[in-house]
Amino acid sequence: MNTRQAQDGLIYLYCITDKVPKLKKIENLVDKPYFIYQQSLYAIVNRVKESEFAEDNLKRNLADLEWIKAKARSHEKAIEVIMKNAGVIPFKLATLFNSEDNLKAMLREHLEEFKDILVKLEDKEEWGVKIYCNLEKLKEGLMQEDGQLLNIDKEISSSVSGKAYFLKKKKEELLNIAENKKLNEYGQVSFDSLREESVQARINKLLPKEVTERKEEMILNSAFLIDKDKIDDFLNTVENLKIRYVDKCIFFDCTGPWPPYNFCNL
Amino acid sequence: MKNKRYIMDRSIKILQDKDSYLDLRKQERVTLLEILDRALTKGVVISGDIVISLADVDLVYLGLKVLLSSVETMERLRGAPMAGAQEEPT
Repeated sequence: MNTRQAQDGLIYLYCITDKVPKLKKIENLVDKPYFIYQQSLYAIVNRVKESEFAEDNLKRNLADLEWIKAKARSHEKAIEVIMKNAGVIPFKLATLFNSEDNLKAMLREHLEEFKDILVKLEDKEEWGVKIYCNLEKLKEGLMQEDGQLLNIDKEISSSVSGKAYFLKKKKEELLNIAENKKLNEYGQVSFDSLREESVQARINKLLPKEVTERKEEMILNSAFLIDKDKIDDFLNTVENLKIRYVDKCIFFDCTGPWPPYNFCNL
Repeated sequence: MKNKRYIMDRSIKILQDKDSYLDLRKQERVTLLEILDRALTKGVVISGDIVISLADVDLVYLGLKVLLSSVETMERLRGAPMAGAQEEPT
């Protein structure tokens, strides 16, 4: 008891795996990593300072950009390295326990679920696809190819100001409808064809421009769980979509393999 | 052929769209965004002893905005992006 008391700090949980983790390889990423073993599962953890991670301090640190940046990177990198040799269940950034006993209790409570998840994830990888659209360019394109919009444009130029005003309103409305239709179509077609190559697929919340800092709008934020021997097919599908939409102001960000953050819900 | 390269070099995480420039800083930014989009909002959530609340995640995103703009101060000069542009196109 005394030794545990003396060892102050909190237990930070990175991930769970069912193979002996190669901790040496993450020693340069996180401070003194070790594992806690519980009925065939290994929880990869380390001790972190309360001055950094205790509730109030954590909240303060979450407002510190450099801190988040560093922690998110080491969290991700550590899990990625473990993932090279074993299936993992990644935990959310800053999952903390007051004691090893509390962590073990949690492992016992969810033991069967964790085992099931690891079986489900075996020989699979998570990949992410985010699709962006340059709305300005899309609208320009629509104005040139949509017959109805072209006609209304002609009508506007030959109308008196009162009528032209209403026609302009009408044009805006039609343009918005056409734009939404196109965005839905591009997103749906892309998602459907990528889903076909995957075992499981997920659509996530779109991130606003304030977060992405791109001039294009995000129109699809998706994640896929893919059989390892189908990754080639999946990436080919991404390439084909890029080619298909090359003139449509649609951009794809395809990233992976990721720890299966999106596919291990309890 | 291109895909083979991606497969062979898995350590390069970002398969950038070929239309966007492969600026290192941009890659860095995309990587950070991708990491935060996962590590903060996904992953197993259990009732650990201390858990980040959703409100805190939003806080982080606001922070991220500042972080990213500091990385790309030059790009920011073109003006602030419009909020909710997709819901209410103008």
